[in-house]
Amino acid sequence: MHAGAMDDYAAVIAILNHTWFGSELAPETQERLARLGTLQDFEADEVILQEGEDATDMGILLSGRLALRTHVPGRGPVTILSIEPGDIFGWSAVLDSTKTQSTVVATQSSQALVIDGTKLRAALKEDHALAASLYPRVLQAVGRRLRATRLQLLDLFAR
Amino acid sequence: MITSPAPGQTAAARQWFLARTDLASLVDGIRATGRRLIGPTVREGAIVYDDIHSAADLPAGWRDEQSAGRYRLERRTDDRVFGYTVGPTSWKRFTFPANLPIATAHRTATFGFDQPVPEVTPMAFLGVRACELAALNVQDRVFLGGQFTDEDFRARRAAAFIVSVQCTTSSSTCFCTSMGTGPEVHGGYDILLTEIDEGFVVQAGSPEGAAIVAKLPTRKPTHAEAGAAVDNVEAVRTRIGEPMPIPGIDARLKLQLDNPRWGQIAERCVECGNCTMVCPTCFCTSVIEKSDMDGKVATTERQWDSCFDVAFAKIAGGDFRARPRDRYRQWLTHKFSTWMDQFGSMGCVGCGRCVAWCPVGIDVREELMIIAPPIAPVVRPVAVEPVAASPGNFSVARLASVRSETEDTTTLTLTDLDPAFLQGRPGQFVMVALPAFPAVPISISRFRSNGIDLTIRAVGPTSTALVNLHPGVKVGIRGPLGTFWPIEDAYGRHAVVVAGGVGLSPLHGLVDALVANRDRFESISLFYGTRTPEDQLFRDDLAAWSVSKAIDVAVTVDRAGPEWKGRVGVVTTLFDKMSWDCSKVTAFVVGPERMMQASVQGLLSKGVPSDRILISMERHMECGIGLCGHCQMAGRFVCKDGPVFRLHELGDMFNREGI
Repeated sequence: MHAGAMDDYAAVIAILNHTWFGSELAPETQERLARLGTLQDFEADEVILQEGEDATDMGILLSGRLALRTHVPGRGPVTILSIEPGDIFGWSAVLDSTKTQSTVVATQSSQALVIDGTKLRAALKEDHALAASLYPRVLQAVGRRLRATRLQLLDLFAR
Repeated sequence: MITSPAPGQTAAARQWFLARTDLASLVDGIRATGRRLIGPTVREGAIVYDDIHSAADLPAGWRDEQSAGRYRLERRTDDRVFGYTVGPTSWKRFTFPANLPIATAHRTATFGFDQPVPEVTPMAFLGVRACELAALNVQDRVFLGGQFTDEDFRARRAAAFIVSVQCTTSSSTCFCTSMGTGPEVHGGYDILLTEIDEGFVVQAGSPEGAAIVAKLPTRKPTHAEAGAAVDNVEAVRTRIGEPMPIPGIDARLKLQLDNPRWGQIAERCVECGNCTMVCPTCFCTSVIEKSDMDGKVATTERQWDSCFDVAFAKIAGGDFRARPRDRYRQWLTHKFSTWMDQFGSMGCVGCGRCVAWCPVGIDVREELMIIAPPIAPVVRPVAVEPVAASPGNFSVARLASVRSETEDTTTLTLTDLDPAFLQGRPGQFVMVALPAFPAVPISISRFRSNGIDLTIRAVGPTSTALVNLHPGVKVGIRGPLGTFWPIEDAYGRHAVVVAGGVGLSPLHGLVDALVANRDRFESISLFYGTRTPEDQLFRDDLAAWSVSKAIDVAVTVDRAGPEWKGRVGVVTTLFDKMSWDCSKVTAFVVGPERMMQASVQGLLSKGVPSDRILISMERHMECGIGLCGHCQMAGRFVCKDGPVFRLHELGDMFNREGI
């Protein structure tokens, strides 16, 4: 994991504005996230979060592609979802004391805005405007994923 | 002086003949009324409009040679007076002066702003061409047609007596016939001249014009002279040639704001603004303030300006049209598109001045046809009459090849079949039979020059028997049957193909047709979802489409192992890629019905209109012609009225349980 210097918040905000997750956040929230986070580059096959470990970071993928994988005994790792630019990962980090639900792996070289969970939770507690802006968006992201998962569960293409 | 032909007289009844040697009588007759006579005269190598004191000032025996970026005067072999087309000046110089004081402000004993009352000397314009009359009419709409008017223009226009001249010569830069403005003059003049070999055929268009004509040494034209006047003008129309496809160009240009050609023109354009200065309709101006030394009296002067001026769209915070390409686009789209929105007509009259006087020879006609070429009329195909239409009656085809697509899906290529099958349309299907097996409906997945492809998933006895056939055997087919994809619905729009699993089969032929007509569409996208990577059909074609620039292919799978580096997730997650105005999307959707429902919901929520969502339905089909009743879906037979439907045709029947 290569941490990049966050000397240009404006550039991060500009990228956020090109993502579905970031574009409808209040400008103050965008700036707060840019300042809270670090811009990180991942190489292909790099493991970013490991299933079962403490949920420490939340990320917004800015470019590239990540895979969410779950280990199934006897079948090995199964990719259940890919994260595309604009999607979030590690959203469990907005909640206290949780474990990461799946392993996050970069399937190609990628860049994300990664926010430390402890700092994020503290900021959300102290800054209600930030919380009012961010929570609904996180919930929307989780809701999208839930709806997509339901369709996957239906196994529409089953024979 | 805005006039129209006097009613109640035929054109022939109003014609006179004036010998060329007597033209001085017209010049003198007009000047005798006290009007300032303005007309063509040779100055500095060009024919310009200026004061005419006698007939000797007119350009007898001169012609102009014009092409893109070129204007030269040459001697004629005869002494025609109006044997040229148009020069760098236009009548706007006199109806809409390049410099005009519009207010005086004073801060002396009193404080205030005074507007001058227009005082205009009566004028007469001699030699106004058809395109120039059209330009005056355009100015009328701009300056007098709206809520706010230009009173100085009104006064000047009312003060102008117009002697129009029908063109009997043309330049390579002329395109009045394309703009519908010439070469014939239709009204709007006080006197009309048509020059023929010996003189002029004269018509009067107003009482004042008639009064002047009455004093000229005229006679009735001979039949030959009257005929020559008509023929000479008609010959100009022929010489200018085939009109450009201008109708609809205003709408076509609006779709081309991002055309790369704007940047290419900007590399040639030197932004001199010549085109706007010589244009008889360009009306953009700026004001400058002139103050006396102690600042007590200031004059505001209006000056011609140009949208090519770098400062024209500038404000304190920046420049709205900072790049040369922005400024050229502004000019051309205003002339041929947005002018129509504002004033109900084009801003161009086809005089060709901007072509000739462009120092780098940019030809507006050429650019228009490159940026917004005509779109061939949409011809909606009609379904070919099916072969062996009645159940039990099959035409025979030969199985040419068998290709495995996935574990359970196979593509058969049939040849040696009735030519009607090759004329089928993407989206149609055939009924396929083998002796002792019930016939099954199969979509045509591809049209080849000598055959058709059927992509079959082995799910029942007939389909299992079919996929196990070997090349060379014969099969029975009926068709092509059913409705087809109306690809014309996507012309000029974003074509989005959404396929799930084996649903790509009835869409393959559609994708081929879209790609073959790439220029017809704003963009083409294929969103394809399958259960696993191994379930993808037509993998070679997907790879080929992916590398082509014609279509944007995005695939996703519901589940995959770690070796899969592509997307994982349902097909609707791909809709995030639709970053366009989705009201301009036409979508074609095929897959399991539940997947189609989720896709339709996703498309509707993105703003795709329901009449632009096309789906292909699957039902139990036996006869394929709407007679057996199996595939009935409320008021429709899927085999005959479908399988391709517009979503709004199905209304709430779509995905309703038990229908």
